[in-house]
Amino acid sequence: MQYRARQAHSRSFQRAHGRALASLIALVSALALHASDRSAPATLGLPEVTWPNSQRASPAQIELGRKLFMDRRLSPNNTMSCAMCHIPEQGFAANELATAVGINGRSVKRNAPTMLNVAFNQFLFWDGRETSLENQVWQPILNPNEMGNASVQAVLDRINALPDYASPFEQAYGARATRESVAHAVAAYERTLLAGGSRFDRWFYGKDEKALNELEQQGFAAFKRFGCAQCHAYDEKSALFTDQRFHNTGIGWAAARNDKTYTVPLAPGVSIEVKESELASVSEPIPADEGRFEATRNEAERYQYKTPSLRNVALTAPYMHDGSLPTLEAVIEFYANGGIDNPGRDALLKRLAITAEEKRALAAFLRALTSEDQREWVRRARAE
Amino acid sequence: MGTLKRSSKPFALRAPAIVAAAIAAAFTLAPLTVSADETCNSPYISKLIKGQEDYVYVWALGMEGLGDGQDKLVTIDVNPNSMSYGNITATHSVGTRGEAHHMGFSDDRRFLWAGGLDDSTIYIFDVRANPAKPKLIKTISNMPEKTGFVGPHTFYALPGRMMVQALSNSKDHGGATGFVIYNNKGDFVAKHDMPTDNGGDGYGYDIGINPAKNVMLTSSFTGWNNYMMDLGKLVKDPEAMKKFGNTMVLWDLKAMQPKKVFNVPGAPLEIRWSLKPGDNWAITAAALTSKLTLVKRDAQGEWQAHEVGTIGDPSKIPLPVDISITANGKGLWVNTFMDGKTRYFDLSDPMNAKQTYEKVTGKQVNMVSQSWDGKRVYITSSLLANWDKKGEDNEQFLRVFDWDGKELVMKMQVDFIKNHLGRAHHMKFGSKALRKAMVEQDESLAEGAQSGAARVARSE
Ligand code: HEC
Ligand code: HEC
Repeated sequence: MQYRARQAHSRSFQRAHGRALASLIALVSALALHASDRSAPATLGLPEVTWPNSQRASPAQIELGRKLFMDRRLSPNNTMSCAMCHIPEQGFAANELATAVGINGRSVKRNAPTMLNVAFNQFLFWDGRETSLENQVWQPILNPNEMGNASVQAVLDRINALPDYASPFEQAYGARATRESVAHAVAAYERTLLAGGSRFDRWFYGKDEKALNELEQQGFAAFKRFGCAQCHAYDEKSALFTDQRFHNTGIGWAAARNDKTYTVPLAPGVSIEVKESELASVSEPIPADEGRFEATRNEAERYQYKTPSLRNVALTAPYMHDGSLPTLEAVIEFYANGGIDNPGRDALLKRLAITAEEKRALAAFLRALTSEDQREWVRRARAE
Repeated sequence: MGTLKRSSKPFALRAPAIVAAAIAAAFTLAPLTVSADETCNSPYISKLIKGQEDYVYVWALGMEGLGDGQDKLVTIDVNPNSMSYGNITATHSVGTRGEAHHMGFSDDRRFLWAGGLDDSTIYIFDVRANPAKPKLIKTISNMPEKTGFVGPHTFYALPGRMMVQALSNSKDHGGATGFVIYNNKGDFVAKHDMPTDNGGDGYGYDIGINPAKNVMLTSSFTGWNNYMMDLGKLVKDPEAMKKFGNTMVLWDLKAMQPKKVFNVPGAPLEIRWSLKPGDNWAITAAALTSKLTLVKRDAQGEWQAHEVGTIGDPSKIPLPVDISITANGKGLWVNTFMDGKTRYFDLSDPMNAKQTYEKVTGKQVNMVSQSWDGKRVYITSSLLANWDKKGEDNEQFLRVFDWDGKELVMKMQVDFIKNHLGRAHHMKFGSKALRKAMVEQDESLAEGAQSGAARVARSE
């Protein structure tokens, strides 16, 4: 094993062929630029974004929203920003946690969803309790479990005391930060996080027959045949892979049953079994999760959760509202068993007669839903 | 794992070369007294308390709803001959609750650095002016902005410098991290990333230096997400449980370059070099797998890691957290958090560590520090705010035991809940006699020191 062996080699190569290499690099990058010109635009396969009052935010407002979204100083102890849970490098979700951890390590009971294409969600949160991005913004800022600020005013005072915000707010809104302008700017930024333009889009909407391979095409057929598309819906013009509705798959119901046994990985290849009750001395109880019922108090909707979009789903593991399924393969296995049987289980879910090959194809299809300009959105999010 | 050859380009060295030169200069300027402080700390610390310690400084985490709720440095008189034996001589609250965790002395033992793992604030106390009442002289609050690292954990003295090993980063609160070097005044000097290639997993935890061999060992824990999370929630989250370090890294000390990565599964934490002259090994305990690992130079001069012992029943996750090595390298105290036990391991044959004694010393125990002569063992109770036990089991204390080689006998304790202090974590010792010696020495050396300092300043 050698540190940087390859790099050392390329350096000596570069010394010998300095000029030639430089022009070669220029040529290659020109070609790459050309190629990316031809690849799908990030919005291929997406519907039009609707802006409130048909008024698209200005570039200054969007940039200010980005800055606020990324800024850890929006929490009282400078540790939490929106981006600490919706992490650009992790598909604007959080790959390393089943359920989120907020300020001072406080427990949040649900998995952090992606911000990509959030502009199209008619309902926000897994229980759909909010519908407007603008209204949503202040909730995590004030939630004691997430960013833990004492009040709107406390946050505005904080922002207005930071010298680097004076001119961005002046430019974007002609005034100091207000409750409305903070919400407007962050929501405006979120509406620009558009991530269509996957290989599926090039194939289905762009009619590029080679964009999906044989297996992925079979996966799409399986996706339709096994009823996935009934809930993860698309149409001939665009695809969000969600019906914007709520369903009971059984995960919420099962979590409410007790003394579960957990398999705990301690190191690669080493794991142990632990019962829930054995962890009582070091566990703060986490409130039960009742799904859509929490928003509507309608008994029929207990343990129902929003159908998430499947765009970029390969980037946003772990899955489901509680992050309980680690991989796409585990999700497919879950559906193969018809979800978890329970009194409220959605009628569309039943045990599937699905072969191993079809499972593989489904997984390959889901992985073809990843936007091709992934690195670009990370770069933009981190650009200072 | 094979040996890693050094590349032509300094690995992960972000700081300009001139800074590296300044650090190297600092090493050569200082006299290399290869001895440790009370068995557990940087070999560059010049003054040791070899007799009875007068004070123990306890860095305590604030507890919501208890007293002022703030993190605080608590000074306790622990000299049995003192009129105020067992009394709290001072408390210094730092204004916030930021997950107080570890501390470390500067090389001249004048300053005690202490850090908060949550808000990443570093506090520098002067403990020389009045050892009974440390005084906060500087606060560093920009480590995350300056370095991208969060969670300052180990504070380790270098000649004229402090190394601060971080646990996490400000981008995603995961485990990719590094260490930062400050001068003794608290000015930033350089930062280094933990290696993420050639088997390195990017995590950090503790630092242990063997100056004679020009090597530094680092160990690996986990990121903010995990160490701040409720322990019960963490254990139930398999994604999070996969995010613990499984490596130790051996560095070329002067070059500050990683040389070799050892596979040490299950979060190897505290590192202790044997202080016995001629010994060239360090020992560590892995928190999750409950294994003791020895890093030792073999006959060919190659450093190798060996599993040398098991702590309790690993299937019960006893969670070995802190260890304390005897001055002669023949014994090791190990605290296991979950079962509240303090265990003694015989290291006469370091390749075969054997537990010879154990005692339940609390409902939960974390740090263990012994006096230089090995006759007294100090124990505290808190691991992390959200990992500590809840309700009745959340005892918080400093307990002082006498050890006669056979039995731990409790001599004194301070209840940190009753005294509204919070969660008792890291401990360091203070001494009146040492202070007197230091002041006298300083006065006589004032001239010489000044010219030395000027030389360092020029090379920066
Ligand atoms: C502590 C982690 C955390 C922080 C910080 C955080 N979020 Fe979230 N976010 C979540 C979780 C978890 C959910 C899902 C909660 C639920 O369904 O009840 C969520 C849901 C959302 C949603 C709904 C998405 C959807 O499709 O349903 C939006 C929008 C959102 N967050 C935006 C933000 C913004 C803006 C900020 C900063 C002001 C922020 N979040 C800060 C964890 C976090
Ligand atoms: C009855 C409607 C319904 C059907 C049919 C359905 N899903 Fe889902 N899907 C959902 C809902 C609701 C969730 C979220 C469930 C939860 O969090 O408990 C979900 C979650 C997922 C997720 C996790 C996404 C994330 O970001 O966490 C994937 C992947 C997925 N479904 C794929 C599929 C596939 C493949 C099929 C077909 C085999 C399928 N679904 C069939 C409603 C449905």
